[in-house]
Amino acid sequence: MGSGSGLGGGRRVSVLYFARSAELAGLRCETLSVPREITSLQLWEEIVKVHPRLALIRDQVVFAVRQEYVLLGDQLLVLQPGDEVAIIPPISGG
Amino acid sequence: MEENEDVPKDFIKLKSEKLSVDEVSELVVSPYCGAVSLFIGTTRNNFEGKKVIHLEYEAYTSMAETEIKKICRDVRQKWPSVKHIAVHHRLGVVPITEASVIIAVSSPHRAESLEAVMYCINTLKASVPIWKKEIYEDEYSWKENKECFWANSEK
Repeated sequence: MGSGSGLGGGRRVSVLYFARSAELAGLRCETLSVPREITSLQLWEEIVKVHPRLALIRDQVVFAVRQEYVLLGDQLLVLQPGDEVAIIPPISGG
Repeated sequence: MEENEDVPKDFIKLKSEKLSVDEVSELVVSPYCGAVSLFIGTTRNNFEGKKVIHLEYEAYTSMAETEIKKICRDVRQKWPSVKHIAVHHRLGVVPITEASVIIAVSSPHRAESLEAVMYCINTLKASVPIWKKEIYEDEYSWKENKECFWANSEK
């Protein structure tokens, strides 16, 4: 794990997995190469290509991009090398 | 008075050691305040008839601290008289009956700190990236706060 997803002209970003998403992906962090401009939903689909089991929780996750919440959808992300993208399953702190 | 105004402070900590109510409440004590309000979240021994053995917490620590800071900022806007705010959250294994979170707020009068403490815990449950796994005798489950808007969405 940890190699690029094979997309040309990509940005290498840190992808973090927590709770159930870490169990499904089988790891807690890795570096993936993704297009510089990509919608949040497309980014999710790229990550699911690498970890197909994550498809199970498609309707129960949001992203945190550079530590700001982003829903899966049409929002365009402009990613810089080294940016942190986290998969955030439903939270249960407290 | 000028030399010691007791500037408002936020104390935020995520840690794997046992939490201390005394420590958290002492952090917010101020000579300018007549009220310290506390919330202590503790771990229950049962869920839907299943015996809970213990709980395990994990966090996206850096973002969790940032989100708690945002909550503190909001509190100070809503209740400007609030003096100090302390939020300690435990991570890792938490045995039954021990505290998973302790929140303390001080203010000159009680209404502000009581309201602020409730706001802090409700907002923490809705926005801070921390996860709880309940361990039963032969299974476990990841919990979901009802305050989390992307939980149980079944879109």
